[in-house]
Amino acid sequence: MIQNFQIKNSVIDQIKEISLEEKKFRLKNLDVFNNEGFPNNKNEEWKFTNIDKIIKTNFKKLILKKDINELKKFDLITNFEHNYIILVNGRLKSFNLDFEEKNEVNISTFKNNNFDFKKNNTLINLNNALYNEGFSIKVNDNYKMKKSIIIYNFFTKELKENMINIKNKVILGKNSELHLIEYNINNSKEKFFNNTYESVFLDKHAVYKTISINENRSEGFFHKFSSNTLLSNTNYTAYIFPAGLKFNKVDLEFNLEGENIDCSLQSASFLKKDEHQEIRTKINHLFPNCKSYQKVKNVLSLNSKGVFQGKIFVKDKAQKTNAYQLGKAMLLNDESEFNSKPELEIYADDVKCTHGSTSGSLDENAIYYLMTRGLNRKESTSLLIDAFLNEIISTIKSKSIKEFIKLKFEKQIYGH
Amino acid sequence: MLQIKNLKASINKKNILKGLDISINPGELHAIMGPNGSGKSTLANVLSGKSGYEISGEIKYKGKDLSELKVDERAQNGIFLAFQYPTEIPGVNTNNFLRTSLNKVRKARGEKALDALSFLKLMKEKASELGIEEKMLSRQLNVGFSGGEKKKNEILQMKILNPNLVVLDETDSGLDIDALKIIADGVNSFRDKANSFLVITHYQRLLDYIKPDFVHVLSDGKIIKSGSIELAKELEKTGYKNII
Repeated sequence: MIQNFQIKNSVIDQIKEISLEEKKFRLKNLDVFNNEGFPNNKNEEWKFTNIDKIIKTNFKKLILKKDINELKKFDLITNFEHNYIILVNGRLKSFNLDFEEKNEVNISTFKNNNFDFKKNNTLINLNNALYNEGFSIKVNDNYKMKKSIIIYNFFTKELKENMINIKNKVILGKNSELHLIEYNINNSKEKFFNNTYESVFLDKHAVYKTISINENRSEGFFHKFSSNTLLSNTNYTAYIFPAGLKFNKVDLEFNLEGENIDCSLQSASFLKKDEHQEIRTKINHLFPNCKSYQKVKNVLSLNSKGVFQGKIFVKDKAQKTNAYQLGKAMLLNDESEFNSKPELEIYADDVKCTHGSTSGSLDENAIYYLMTRGLNRKESTSLLIDAFLNEIISTIKSKSIKEFIKLKFEKQIYGH
Repeated sequence: MLQIKNLKASINKKNILKGLDISINPGELHAIMGPNGSGKSTLANVLSGKSGYEISGEIKYKGKDLSELKVDERAQNGIFLAFQYPTEIPGVNTNNFLRTSLNKVRKARGEKALDALSFLKLMKEKASELGIEEKMLSRQLNVGFSGGEKKKNEILQMKILNPNLVVLDETDSGLDIDALKIIADGVNSFRDKANSFLVITHYQRLLDYIKPDFVHVLSDGKIIKSGSIELAKELEKTGYKNII
């Protein structure tokens, strides 16, 4: 248990089969967390999100339990063929790669071999101190996966007032390709905190497409830090559909370490009552001729809060950079809030960087027009929300996956 | 079909309609002409049920008090307003929207919903009558449509929804003569004993193509003169000044 949100060193003593080096690494990180606590909004990266206050308002305590792995029967998605990985409360339970050639894709429980200590966002330090398993995927050079992998990420009711710390890793070899769908299924009605650290590495000419979506609404508090390293001629496409959690912050950093990289990140959410949703990005353009594209669209209903904090950094030698960033929000009432903070830091002179942010309320003229055609106010509103968010969803290339995501959104928007 | 008695309407405490009377029987087409600011568009908005107006007086539609019905309920009961400036709605597919709209109206009439295939057939037939390319129907609703395309889309919706009372608000504005003829043909082909029309226009030009049974002159929120098509022709010659 975290007493007063202080964690005893004995928690780490209890972790079995770790090297002295790893133990030291964990203890150092634990010190940072115990000294500094959760990040608060004095930290620029947490400007709009006082996580310290949020945790302390919602949790009296956080339990660090180890074995909570029960899972009853569940249904796989039948809309399209896929490989899959099953995680229960972050722990790798099983996987299936029947559609792929043998030995080209490797999936295993995460093992850390990076013990470089750094003072950080203290939630990362906390993760470094307490991480417990997670998964790693490695795709071999020149292997293009035939089907997507769905990660069925189950969270169970045993997680009540627990905190889980997970590390995941994705490595794509040269000229390989992986499509990964992270599907969070939360059967818990209880509050719990999921603190995940993810690292992604794309070797030259690799193609990575990823989608994350929640199956249902829940009381989960999620923080995920994603560190992405992209080498030359790689292609990265991410769709984040984060709505449904009580609290969610997705913090993504990209290092574009080569030329001709194409990096695209899009997000669409329909936030319901009291949801807090934040996306923070930092894209480091370090080499010439790279492209980055970010578009985040939020629809916010009663008392929900959306944040998009995006930073684009362009190093002096990263000429011919093309960076685009847009945050758009539709606020359904006065009690909802959208904060957008675009930041540009540019040291090269021959670049094209565009950023913008807009927020507005529902278009009453459009509602009126739709109503004169027989749709009631609720139906008209739903249609406009759908249209606003569908701009993102419609750009998903795979038809079957797009249809699947659309159905999920329609359920959220129209309630069927 | 429609009886309006002593209708007054104000918005933001500004009186716009100041005691308007009009009565339209089934099968009749009435034209309302008037200078800018006389209250023409307000009348169209009030009939469709747009919010924001303070209203007194009486509007009876098919014998019932219209004030109790919301905008969508009026549409479901057969009132159709063709907009002067149809609203652009990004992200909403014209085809899908029209099907949703039609099925809402059909449901209210106690008819079965049309499946995608039957709808497409109906749509194609009506669109070709108006010279609308199918491509336009797969675009976002009114987004990037030319003035003519927008107005044609309004008339297409009218033909598909099959209303009883049609209010055309300055449908001729912004149209070239070819588009005007197509629109007029569309309206004329929809005229029959059961349907009534209220055609609101600033210029007599439209009435050369859509022949009204009655013409009314609206000025400062009241009908000040009513007559036949001859009244419209007189207006065209002498202008509003000599009548008002």
